[in-house]
Amino acid sequence: MTRARLIERALLLAATVSGLSTVSIFVFMVILGLPILTAGHFSELLTGPWSPDHGVYGIRSMIVGSLTISFLSLLFAFPLSLGTSVLIAVLAPRGVALAMKRLVRFMTAIPTVVYGFVGIFLLVPIIRELFVHGSGMSILTAALLLAILISPTMILIFVDSFERVPRSYLTAVAALGGSRIDKLIHVILPCSWPGIVTGLVLALGRAMGDTMISLMVAGNSVGLPQSILDSSRTLTGHIGLIISADFDSLEFKALFACGLLLYLMTSIMVVIIRSLHFRAGVRGW
Amino acid sequence: MIQKLRQNTITAITLLVVGLLSVAAPTMADSLTPFQGETGTIKVSGGTAHIPVMKEAAKRIMTFNPEIRITIAGGGSGVGIKQVGEGLVDIGNSGRKAKDTEIAKYNLKMCKWAIDGVAVVVNPRNQVTSLTSAQLRDIYSGKVRNWQALGGADKPITVFTRDNSSGTRAVFWKKALAKGDITDRAHFVVSNGAMKAAVSQDPYAIGYVSVGYIDSSVTPMALDGVVPTLDNIKAGHYKIARGLYSNTRGEPSGLAKKLLDYLLSPEGQAIVADKGFIPVQ
Amino acid sequence: MVMKRVKESIIVVLSWLCSLLLAGSVATIIGYLLFKGLATINLALIFGDTAPLEAIFLGRQVFNGLLPAMVGTLALVLLALIFAIPLGVAAGIYMAEYGKGRLKGWFSLFFDILASIPSIVVGLFGFSVAVFLHHNLSERIYPCLLIAALSLAFLVLPYIIRTTQVALESIPVTIRQTAPALGATKLQNISHVLLPHALSAMMSGIVLAMGRCAEDTAVIMLTGVVASAGMPRSIFAGFEALPFYIYYISAQYSDSRELASGYGAAIILLIICIMLFGLAFYIKARFELTFTARSGDKRRISQRIMKAPDRRKKSLKVNFQTEQSGQGTLL
Repeated sequence: MTRARLIERALLLAATVSGLSTVSIFVFMVILGLPILTAGHFSELLTGPWSPDHGVYGIRSMIVGSLTISFLSLLFAFPLSLGTSVLIAVLAPRGVALAMKRLVRFMTAIPTVVYGFVGIFLLVPIIRELFVHGSGMSILTAALLLAILISPTMILIFVDSFERVPRSYLTAVAALGGSRIDKLIHVILPCSWPGIVTGLVLALGRAMGDTMISLMVAGNSVGLPQSILDSSRTLTGHIGLIISADFDSLEFKALFACGLLLYLMTSIMVVIIRSLHFRAGVRGW
Repeated sequence: MIQKLRQNTITAITLLVVGLLSVAAPTMADSLTPFQGETGTIKVSGGTAHIPVMKEAAKRIMTFNPEIRITIAGGGSGVGIKQVGEGLVDIGNSGRKAKDTEIAKYNLKMCKWAIDGVAVVVNPRNQVTSLTSAQLRDIYSGKVRNWQALGGADKPITVFTRDNSSGTRAVFWKKALAKGDITDRAHFVVSNGAMKAAVSQDPYAIGYVSVGYIDSSVTPMALDGVVPTLDNIKAGHYKIARGLYSNTRGEPSGLAKKLLDYLLSPEGQAIVADKGFIPVQ
Repeated sequence: MVMKRVKESIIVVLSWLCSLLLAGSVATIIGYLLFKGLATINLALIFGDTAPLEAIFLGRQVFNGLLPAMVGTLALVLLALIFAIPLGVAAGIYMAEYGKGRLKGWFSLFFDILASIPSIVVGLFGFSVAVFLHHNLSERIYPCLLIAALSLAFLVLPYIIRTTQVALESIPVTIRQTAPALGATKLQNISHVLLPHALSAMMSGIVLAMGRCAEDTAVIMLTGVVASAGMPRSIFAGFEALPFYIYYISAQYSDSRELASGYGAAIILLIICIMLFGLAFYIKARFELTFTARSGDKRRISQRIMKAPDRRKKSLKVNFQTEQSGQGTLL
């Protein structure tokens, strides 16, 4: 074999090893979670309460916790991000737009654990005193912090897709006597919907995949939350908390179910984005 | 002038050093000499009540002989027992006795080096400072949800608890709650330190910690009229008490044995007392 | 007409409000941190009771200081990159220069999924592998610095693959074809022309990956970080790390001094991450400058030839990758 072929083989091997790691994480979760996935525990696992004292290891509350916290944070972050993106891409004077863009990029450099740290000592007491109900460690608190965490993700993608709208469309609107708001509503937003959906899905994935913020400020109680001021536990936080349990116990095996669920949910999001861009005609995905 | 000042300083320092040495040397030498010339790592994990004592002991040993490394991780008693049994660590701490099944499965040897109580604590701003066992059970089962019902402010109670690997929880659940239910609305924290920090931040919180952790940031509750002081625990008046254990797989040997011996030495037991626990010797 | 004016004004006002709210929250968070923590930043915060020079040169142990956590984080980042860079760069070269058709599509899907997996799941995987090996291979293996670094390597791997791939793919066609036209082989072209050209873009991606390794808490929390270990001496032992220290202190500080050190640690980690981030941008800016200014007519022409929409597509692709890893955008 020539040297060139050898190197090509080596490069292929590297790609294969990297690709296989994706598969092996999945396979590992399935194999280790098998005892609790089979054995008739499956429906109980997804719909039951978490009560190790009574030998019940359901992760219903954590699923609900993950979903409510991540969707609520999206609810806060989406308008915020859309408004900021519009300002950066359409409305603001050049200087302001540049400054805001820099700020947003700067935000991506802030470590998650720093958000959580400030959250505990600044936001939690405020939420506690502001509302009569609850300890301040709540779904709301986590969602607010997560909203700040995921906003840059959305803004950068939104701005990027706004700027990809062909200049000629905008000139056409201007020629018809349209204002910049006309451009925004009738051209820019309709043209960049794939980017907006991509940003939304990616941000949702980040919110759902984040561990530290919910672990630090959501209180981690195992009951089903009744309101957004209730404390709650996410799938990610649950893994972080129960990791210290006996490795061979059913309690621990339930973690692999949590891991699998998170894996599947984020994978589905990847597939959604890829197919979206395939349909929107963007190559290379 | 400057010369003289410097000389004075030097004399003062020399005196100080000599003085310190003459006071500290005998006890230091006795307790720490076994570590002389040793090298290696001791891995410790498990019970979080143990950590202040373990940290201080580790600091003194590592200062005495920098060739020795001691890593200390928490996780809770369940973790300590499990990890030492599996050979993941050299010493697994637990705030409860290992179960017979655990002892048999892993051939555990227990070393008890302190006695500790588990105290119910609230925020210093809380006016309620005493509870009956029945009231405590009602709070933890979620039956009583407002401090007003107990003579406090009209504020919802934030219940804090620990996860199942906690020995503190096991003792509290058995001896204070009589194995009653714990509400699923309870907030979870991962260690004694975290419990103290959480209760000290939330004016309406209630939680339970190792007595050694109590300081001015939390108020211990009198339970059925008995305040969880070291004296009351020693005298047997305060019932929610337990030993602090360090477990090894098989008879302790090497550095692990030396660490356990050190904890039982006069200096080790002085650390135990200093950190707010009751020495066993 | 008036209605339309009102509507437009409302949109403008809302848009400004959103931006102000966002900027305000970030300013509040950073301001609060600095206000509470700036006073704690001094040598004692890092070195504790030990003299700084003795700690650095004599290896004296540091207690009650951040030095072990900082060195632990440094060791962790370097070790993770040692694993991730060769594998990631090789796979990236394959994707850009050799991969085609179905296989490339599958690889691409797998890398996207790997990039999207929550870090705590990667941590759970690393932990489980360590326990599995402990039971089946050697009693000496357990969660430790090595396992944590390997797990982190998985986390940043797809990220390095993508930046390498995109860096290579965005090299203009004219440069790409010059060497082969002169008789160079594909391999010579890659190693002598393409890689040197892509190096800066790759470097800036790698620096961002460093930032990701430095700030991650969820992975190391499960794979070997401990609250107290001293300076790292062996890759087979537990270690301390800055982000975990911050988390640990936030949950279980024992007194106001410890809490203050938490604020200090948060500021230090923030500064490290921002510096890495700034460095990545600096490298990238210089790279773009070289590309346009110093590289001769041919390149300038090729830049003009390169179709703008194509470049944008690529930039979106990088966005996807980088956003997933939580570290901003490259292009």
